[in-house]
Amino acid sequence: MIEKPPLAPSKPFNRDEERKPSLVDAWGAAIASILIPGAGQMLARRIRRGLTILASFVTILGLLAWRMRLTARFDTEVWDIIIKSFRLDPYLLVIAISVLVLYIWSIYDATLLAKDNSKNPIGVFFWIMVVFFMLGWQIGQIDPVRLVTEADEAGPALGRVLWPWSRAITYPETLISGIVEIQSPCTDTPFPAAKPLPEEPWLVADPTCGVPSEQDGSPGTLIHLEGGNFSPDTLVELWWRDPIGNQFRQRAEGEYVSLIPEDDGTFSIEVIFPYRLIPPTAREEAQIWKIEARQVAAVGDPVISQEMTLVIEKMIETIFIGMMATFFGIILSLPLSFFAARNLMSANRITLFFYYLTRTLLNIIRSIEPLIWAIIFVIIVGLGPYAGILALTLHSAAALGKLYSEAIESIDPGPIEAIQATGANWLQMVMYAVVPQVIPPFVSFTIYRWDINIRMSTIIGFVGGGGIGFLLAQWIRLLDYRAAGLAVWFIALTVAILDYVSAEIRARYV
Amino acid sequence: MLQVRNLTKVYDDGTVALKNVSFEVEDGDFLVIIGLSGSGKSTLLRCINRLIDPTEGQILWNGIDLAQLEGEELRNARRQIGMVFQQFNLVRRSTVMTNVLSGRLGYTNTWRSLTGRFSQADMQKARGALQRLGIEDQAHKRADELSGGQQQRVGIARALMQDPKMILADEPVASLDPVLAHSIMQHLEKLNRQDGITVLCSLHYLDLVQRYASRVIGLRDGNLVYQGTKADVLAMTDAQFKEIYGEEAERLGSGLQGEMKTTTGSAT
Ligand SMILES: Nc1ncnc2c1ncn2[C@@H]1O[C@H](COP(=O)(O)OP(=O)(O)OP(=O)(O)O)[C@@H](O)[C@H]1O
Ligand SMILES: [Mg+2]
Repeated sequence: MIEKPPLAPSKPFNRDEERKPSLVDAWGAAIASILIPGAGQMLARRIRRGLTILASFVTILGLLAWRMRLTARFDTEVWDIIIKSFRLDPYLLVIAISVLVLYIWSIYDATLLAKDNSKNPIGVFFWIMVVFFMLGWQIGQIDPVRLVTEADEAGPALGRVLWPWSRAITYPETLISGIVEIQSPCTDTPFPAAKPLPEEPWLVADPTCGVPSEQDGSPGTLIHLEGGNFSPDTLVELWWRDPIGNQFRQRAEGEYVSLIPEDDGTFSIEVIFPYRLIPPTAREEAQIWKIEARQVAAVGDPVISQEMTLVIEKMIETIFIGMMATFFGIILSLPLSFFAARNLMSANRITLFFYYLTRTLLNIIRSIEPLIWAIIFVIIVGLGPYAGILALTLHSAAALGKLYSEAIESIDPGPIEAIQATGANWLQMVMYAVVPQVIPPFVSFTIYRWDINIRMSTIIGFVGGGGIGFLLAQWIRLLDYRAAGLAVWFIALTVAILDYVSAEIRARYV
Repeated sequence: MLQVRNLTKVYDDGTVALKNVSFEVEDGDFLVIIGLSGSGKSTLLRCINRLIDPTEGQILWNGIDLAQLEGEELRNARRQIGMVFQQFNLVRRSTVMTNVLSGRLGYTNTWRSLTGRFSQADMQKARGALQRLGIEDQAHKRADELSGGQQQRVGIARALMQDPKMILADEPVASLDPVLAHSIMQHLEKLNRQDGITVLCSLHYLDLVQRYASRVIGLRDGNLVYQGTKADVLAMTDAQFKEIYGEEAERLGSGLQGEMKTTTGSAT
């Protein structure tokens, strides 16, 4: 038998009886606390209280100094820093005043304790909490006003995220163009005029020749343009092509010229022959310029946009990342969970060693977030779904291993004994006594994990682990909120559907 | 023949559950173990089939020391020793049939049993066992759908599947009402008489002890304090019973007698 140690003398701990009186009177304590906050309390034989106050004070001053330095980062003189930081962020001044109040309060607290050191006034700790809270507010850059004032600006962007469907479809587009040639300068033989065409888009100019505008601002020839067979209600752009082949858009008063054809597809407009610097050698004789009326028109039925296709493809990828990770996670965790179950492994020292080994391993793996694992696997196997699957697999295996093993540990030990008593070996015992008991919790935990994995796989792409998260992150950075909205919608829909499905499975099998 | 010699069990926490216990059981005996709660009855029974490892002593069964067996040899010894539990210890979510068949695990190839493929002979045997205990119509129910008495019969059927030479029954009727208690005890008695299976059974009620035991041992605080034949038990006085159950057991003793009257009354 193990000899019991003699019982420790059990004295009820009573502060009033045990504490000796204060070393100093109220004045002494006040002076000590003025010199060093907390010193008065220590002299009043309240060492721990004094140390707490001192430590809080030092921490608070340090934090305050840091924030002030950060606010007035271009100043070097102490006084300048103080003035500047208070001016730039008056809230810092409020904090500084609170610290002052705390300082005074700690002196007051010391005098109270010097008079009667068995008391426990809590005011000073209340102030410490308040100051820390205020510092937290400043460090966290908390600004409730911004939540309201900047909401308007976020409105349109959020609206696009919430209702992104215009981005889900596009129309096939074709380029409609009609070209007319202009001669410059005019020659004795008149330049032949173009004629309207019956089927194709056409453009006719009048006159058929002219001179460009000059650099000094004197305008060139006024040209009357008429066109037909264009698509109605769609913007037409006018482009010039100079004799050496450069293209540029027609401007009028600084703005690009564009127009919308009539319902019958015709239009007419007057434009000024624009200025263009042409190399002198090319000026010798008459040159041919060209005017082109261009229209990018949607034709035919709407089709699914490229973004929408991408979202669907990546969503499928996402679901499969979650599925494969859950699958591999189960495969890995099933055997592990039996090693991590104490009631199965406490037979002898060797098995107990494996128990602790698995437990530790599972805990370490589980304590690292899947996103971190994803980053690690992206480094190892490169960007893409494979890295995401590996990351989620590892995390699932550890999490499921722990959940499973706890389910095993909480089973009824009776059947285990009974099966052992029949002469069954370990595997048979597990199969006949453990497995039937753990099936319901296992199914339940597995569904739970599958849920988590699908959710995780939607964001694992943020760090390059494949799936829809990658698109989402990219579109948010490109400020393409409609496309991002598509991704968000699909994530929400998928998660909702899976929620429903898993609830059904749970209801049926657990 | 089972010879228990100087058996001592000290649990990891220092509890001495058995102290130097020695006794012998002839083949075909119906040995009843009596003793107060905590006197070490369960510990003794579990030491015999090694669900618990004894600290010291020998458990000689037909010359083999069960206390020294390991691995394959231990499993081969275990499969010849059936066990019946107070809480039945059935796998509640499995069917009655599966529970009964699991009594054959010690005789079945691991891979076959992992896939649940028991031989036709085993299936036949299981049906026979269920029939013998009068619950063949329950074979395909889940174990937890059965009443307590039916569950204990499944427990006995499972033990029977082992073709046991000995059955250890740890308070097999303590969670059943008196009528059922007699029915279960009669099943055990039949196995003992007809099949010649040695039975070691712990019991609480004096009337059951007097009715079924061919020999009795008494435990008190882990010590063997009584050994007697059927005749001894039938002649047992309150004073002797008190000695086994301890001085503080006076009230319990009279309670036991009251219990005895009601149970015999309802059984006859
Ligand atoms: N696993 C264990 N670890 C430590 N001590 C135990 C353990 N199992 C039983 N004991 C102790 O050993 C002693 C004997 O217990 P045991 O279960 O054998 O008694 P019992 O006669 O079967 O009692 P009951 O009639 O209540 O079933 C008791 O003091 C008990 O507390
Ligand atoms: Mg017991």
